[in-house]
Amino acid sequence: MGLRLRLGLRLGIVALTITLLSTSVLSDLLLSKVDRRVDLTSQIVRITSTLKVENAGFDLVSDVLLAFPELQARKLAYLTATLIEGKGKVKNAGVSLPIEVANPKGMPPALKIYSVSLPMALGQGNSLTLDVLAVYTHTLQPFPEKITQSDIQLVLFQDSAHYLSPYPAKVQSLSIKLPVDRIESYTKLENTKSHGSEIKYGPYENLPPFSYLPIVIHFEFNQPFAVSQDVVREIEISHWGCVQITEHYNIIHAGAKSKGEFSRLDYQARAHIRGASAFRHLVAKLPPSAHSIYYRDEIGNISTSNLWGDTKKKELLIEPRYPLFGGWRTAFTIGYGLPLQDFLFESVGKHFLNISFGPPINELVVNNLIVKVVLPEGSGDISISTPFPVKQGQETKISHLDVVGRPVVVLEKGNVVPEHNQYFQVYYRFNKLSMLREPFMLISGFFFLFVACTVYMHVDLSISKSSASYLAKLQWDEVRATIQQVESIINQLLEAHEKLEASLCDLSRTGDIQACKMARKTADMFLKEQSKELKTLFSFLQSSPSAAHIVSKVEDLVLRERELQERLIAKHTTVVDCYERKFASREIEARVAPLEQKIIALRKEVEDLLEYIDEI
Amino acid sequence: MGPKPIASPVPESWYPALSVLMVAIGLVVTASFFIYEATSSRRNRSLAKELTTGALASFFLGFGSLFLLLASGVYV
Repeated sequence: MGLRLRLGLRLGIVALTITLLSTSVLSDLLLSKVDRRVDLTSQIVRITSTLKVENAGFDLVSDVLLAFPELQARKLAYLTATLIEGKGKVKNAGVSLPIEVANPKGMPPALKIYSVSLPMALGQGNSLTLDVLAVYTHTLQPFPEKITQSDIQLVLFQDSAHYLSPYPAKVQSLSIKLPVDRIESYTKLENTKSHGSEIKYGPYENLPPFSYLPIVIHFEFNQPFAVSQDVVREIEISHWGCVQITEHYNIIHAGAKSKGEFSRLDYQARAHIRGASAFRHLVAKLPPSAHSIYYRDEIGNISTSNLWGDTKKKELLIEPRYPLFGGWRTAFTIGYGLPLQDFLFESVGKHFLNISFGPPINELVVNNLIVKVVLPEGSGDISISTPFPVKQGQETKISHLDVVGRPVVVLEKGNVVPEHNQYFQVYYRFNKLSMLREPFMLISGFFFLFVACTVYMHVDLSISKSSASYLAKLQWDEVRATIQQVESIINQLLEAHEKLEASLCDLSRTGDIQACKMARKTADMFLKEQSKELKTLFSFLQSSPSAAHIVSKVEDLVLRERELQERLIAKHTTVVDCYERKFASREIEARVAPLEQKIIALRKEVEDLLEYIDEI
Repeated sequence: MGPKPIASPVPESWYPALSVLMVAIGLVVTASFFIYEATSSRRNRSLAKELTTGALASFFLGFGSLFLLLASGVYV
C-alpha cells in the first residue's frame, strides 16, 4: 500500500510539473485510441498496446515516441513495434519497425524514451495503427515473500491504469488477463470491471500526456516460475555432417521462497494442495531433425524425460530429479545433434550457419545467455549478424584431432526471453581441403608406428658385439639369407621347367616345331646361368659351420633338381624328334612314359625338400 | 541463386560400411608388413618395400579409423 502511494505521488508531481511547463518540443501527435492488453498468465509479462496515432499538427512526423518509467524499463527484455495494415478483421502481419533509445529534450526525469521510426512520414490529418509488444521479466513480485509448502503463491503486479505517453490520448482502455480467477485484491478505480480471470480498466477519455495512475493487482500464480541464472549454449559445427548443440542450465524457482519443511509424503499424496507453487516439468521444443538427444547432470543421465515428435517439431519433456519449490535450484545439461544440411549454407564463397539464438525451453527467463559457436579448425574471416544487439567475443577451443584449436565466437546477452529465440547467422571462410587435416593426422600417427617397427628391425641393439652368441646369431642370419636365395633360384628353375612343359603343350596344339626349339634354347641358357649361381651359394653354405645340419638337405635338393632338369630336357628332345619324324601321338607317349613317371616323382621330392627347408 | 546447403563430402549412410572396409584392408596390409618383417633376413630386406607397405597400411588404417569415429557419433 505504502509503496503504491509513494510511487503514485512521485510520478503525479512530475506529471503536474511537466504539464505546467509543457513546451511544444514534441510533435503534435494524438493517440486517438489506445488498447492495452496485459498478459499475466506466465512469469514473463507481455503487454501489447495497439495505438492509433493521428497527426493533429501541420508538420510531417517520421517517428513516434514511446515512454516507459525507468524502473520498469530496466526490466524490459524485448520491445517491438509493428505497423498494422488493413482494417477490421483482415490484418496483415505487420512489418517490424526499427526502435532506438532516444533522448529528446524537455522530457520528465526518470523516464526512458524509445523512438519508433516510421517507414513513411505521417502527413497532416493522417493516422496509422501501431502494435507495440513489450516483454518484461522479474516484474511479478511474490508477496508474501516466504511461504510454506501448503500455502498458495500470491504475486503483485504494478502498472498504470493510464497509458504513459508523451502524447495526449483520446480514448484508452486496459484489460488484464490473469492465470486463474482467484484474485486477492486489485485497485478499484472508476470504470473497473472484473469477470473471472480478467480485469478491465477503462475506457478513459481525454487524458493529458504523461498521465499515470498506478494500480496494484495481487493474485494467485501457480505457473512455473523458472529462471535460469546462466545458460551456456555451445554449438559445434563439424563439416563431416553434424551440428552438435550442448546446453548447460542453472535453474532456480524465482517465486516465493519456501520456508519450513518439505514433506515428500504430503507432496506426493496431495500435490495440488501441498505443493501447488512448485513445478515439476519443463518442456523444450527442438528442431524436428534433432537426433541423439541426451539429458544429464553432474551425477549422470536423468531418465525422467519424454520425447515425442513428428516431422514439424520435437518436444522434449524433462523432469528434474526433484520438484522445484521457491528458492530451490537445479542444474542440468541437454544436448542434441542436428544434420548439417538444414543449418549450414554456402553463398558467395563464404559459409554461414543459420541457427536459433535462444534456449529451446518454453517460458524460461535467462539472466545471462552465452552462445558459443565453435567453428571448424582453419576457419577465418568470421562475422555475425543478429536481429538484436549482443556482446561479441572470441576464444579458442581444443577439441577432437586439433592442432591449434578451433575458433569460437562468443555471444552474450542479458535478460533473454523466448521472444529472442530468433535465427542468427555466423559467416566464415573455410577451405574444404582443411577437412583432410584430420585423416592426415591419423595417417601420420599410424605411419609413425610402422616407421618405429622398421627402425627397430634395422637397428642393432645388442650390447656386446663380440660375444659368442651374438656371432653365432650373425652367422645364422647369413646362412638363412643364403638359403632364401637358393630357394628363390630353385623356384625360378622350377618356373623354367614349367615353361618348357608349356612349350610342349603348345607343340601338341599348334605343331610349331621352330617355336618349341626356340623355347628350349632360351630355357637352356637360363638354366646354365642359374646353376652357376647356385654353385657359388652352395659353396658358401658348405664353408659356414652353423649350416651343418642343412647342408646335406640342400645338397640333396640341388641334386634332385639337376636330375629333374636332365630328365625334362631328355623328354623335350624326344618329343621334338618324334614330331619331326611325324610319329603318331601314341608312339610318342609310349616313349615318353618312363621319363614322365620319373619326372613326376622327382618333382614331388623337390617340393618336399623345399617345404622342409622353409620351415627351418 | 540462393544459398546452397552444405553436406558432408562422403554420404553419411556410407560411414559404417566404409569404415569396416578400410580398416579391414588396412589390417591386411599391416599383416603383410609384419610377415615381411618377420620372415626376411637382414641382407634381403629392402627398406623401400617396408616403407611403402607401411605407408599403404597407415593410409588405410587412418581413413578407416576416421570413418569409424564418424560412424560411432564422434563427429571430429
